[in-house]
Amino acid sequence: MKQRLKSLFRLEDGGVLLSVLSLIIAIIISGIIMAIAGHNPFTAFRAIAIGAFGSQRAIANTFTQATPLIFTGLAFVFARKAFVINLGVEGQMYMGALGAALVGLMDLGLPAFIHLPLAILGGILFGALYAGFAGFLKVRFGSNEVVATVMLNSIALLFIGYLTNGPLLAAGSAAAQTERVLETALLPRILPPNQLTYAIFFAILACIFMKWFTDRTTIGYEIRAVGLNKKAAETAGISTGKVIFITLCISGAIAGFAGASQVLGVDRRLIMGFSPGFGFAGIAVSALAANNLLGVIPAGIVFGAMRAGSMELARTTSIPAEFSDIIQAMVVLLVASPLLVREILKVNQVAKKGGRKLWKLSSKTSSPS
Amino acid sequence: MEVVIQNIIPILATAIYMSTPLIIAAIGGAFSVRSGVMALGLESMMMMGAFGAVVGAYFTGSVVLGFLVGTLGGMLFGFFHAVLSVTYKVNQVISGIGLNLLALAATTLSMQLVWGNRGMSPLVNSLTTNIGGFITQIPVIGPILAGQSINFFVMVLVVIVSWTVLFRTRYGLRLRMVGENPKAANSIGLRVHALKYSGVLICGALAGYGGAWLSLDQLNVFVRDMTAGRGFIAVAINILGRYNPSWIVPCALLFGFADVMQIYLQNAGIPSQLIQMLPFVVTLFVLAFGVRHIRAPAGVGLHEDS
Repeated sequence: MKQRLKSLFRLEDGGVLLSVLSLIIAIIISGIIMAIAGHNPFTAFRAIAIGAFGSQRAIANTFTQATPLIFTGLAFVFARKAFVINLGVEGQMYMGALGAALVGLMDLGLPAFIHLPLAILGGILFGALYAGFAGFLKVRFGSNEVVATVMLNSIALLFIGYLTNGPLLAAGSAAAQTERVLETALLPRILPPNQLTYAIFFAILACIFMKWFTDRTTIGYEIRAVGLNKKAAETAGISTGKVIFITLCISGAIAGFAGASQVLGVDRRLIMGFSPGFGFAGIAVSALAANNLLGVIPAGIVFGAMRAGSMELARTTSIPAEFSDIIQAMVVLLVASPLLVREILKVNQVAKKGGRKLWKLSSKTSSPS
Repeated sequence: MEVVIQNIIPILATAIYMSTPLIIAAIGGAFSVRSGVMALGLESMMMMGAFGAVVGAYFTGSVVLGFLVGTLGGMLFGFFHAVLSVTYKVNQVISGIGLNLLALAATTLSMQLVWGNRGMSPLVNSLTTNIGGFITQIPVIGPILAGQSINFFVMVLVVIVSWTVLFRTRYGLRLRMVGENPKAANSIGLRVHALKYSGVLICGALAGYGGAWLSLDQLNVFVRDMTAGRGFIAVAINILGRYNPSWIVPCALLFGFADVMQIYLQNAGIPSQLIQMLPFVVTLFVLAFGVRHIRAPAGVGLHEDS
């Protein structure tokens, strides 16, 4: 256990230290760009910090933004465990939102403690089925999952556009959106009138559950085996097709939960184009989380804070809010490249004549290897 | 369907026209994947191409220089992609997606800094030369070509040259060998890094040109998020076309054809969003029933020392 804790702080792929350092470097670089562009970076960072953590409302905003990001990040990281690239998180989230909205709009005369779980289940099911379709194409026809999921993303977006403009359009509404979800299907808000709902706890629990699932169950073991070496897994008698299909279904289910949490909690109805790219932002979260299922929680919160902060930045200063997007993109690129981060820090990690010169911080904590 | 048959010539003409940037960008992707580097960053390279083209045309007033700057803009992000994924061995999915995020943020920000408008650039000179002369007199082909811009010939040239380079030259053979097995390529003395860099830089240049097409051929302006997912469609076409220019062309044309058909079918009484799905559904069908089990080069994502 101690060994594992120590390994987290090494400057290597998957370490906490790397993620934190990358975040700091990304912030410094974007600060320099800001200064070159003629803006005061400290004004900007203050505005972002105030917008993210400055008040109860700000903190609520941060966690509201973090909720879908934790879900979508988790969906992506989990698929990666089986070496599946699920670029379809965005589409699966939209379908999940649809499933939740359909159940949530149905007047079944049910009490909230049955209706709400049913609506969430509807979202999970739709997301899982939609991802499962891509999985089916891959396993049955050998279709490339990148192409399939990208196409399915576009199809889902257009399908939701059709439904919210046509059959499901709220009476008398000028915007493309459905009627309000029934009161019994709403996720309760923690600090009304803020949009933060109890979905944040579901998101965090989902990460912990998936961690247990991948580490401690037979299917989880098979998923990791396929992810590490597909051929070896097959030789060991694991049905890789089945495992990939199941992985995609679960990943889609998580993405569907993200959609459900938006519809039942934040927007309280299905709105066309409700997601400002939460699906692809989930990939950014997965990078900062260094593909660690539990790391998704802090990574999602960091990105949520940046989103909430950039709103404040746009509202109170003349500094373009895109700087926060630049920080996010830099974080993704830097976290993914431990070699580059080491070089930026002028770390000499090249093995010379067999001797391993490590950077002070990492040599203190690293185990002999 | 009648409406489609009656208008088959304008439909084909528009299909070829709309496919042009996709073909050029997808072929760029082929160079990247053949050298063993995944091309998910095509979107960012097209975005930089579209933006660079307008910057070039705005400050020089010349369309040709605009295309040149656009191509260089694509190459710049191609270079970033190569630095990250070849030199620093970054996971290629993450670096591609990260560059996409960066390109969207960087272009929006630059628009604000250069022109003070985050949604749209000022209008610039655009390519207006259409194909004319004797070519348009040829039956069937003539009317189809009449609506094309000069970039039609650029596209044909790119297809022929890149196919030849990839499959009929020593450089192409070496590039493909690096993509199949970087370790083996390294052991026989090929310069793996240089070859991978060349593949990704060519990818950036072509994707940049495809992006420049969007802002200088189709339109005369850069708007926020101009590529709007076309880069991902080019990625898909590249995979469908088995990373081979001669297969990429029909795949892109099929997509373009379905894309144009939906414009003509809009009057048929089907809701527009459902018709707009057509090109994506067609691509899925082709993926499931047409080209099964596409095999990427075996060395994609690998390094010479892994």
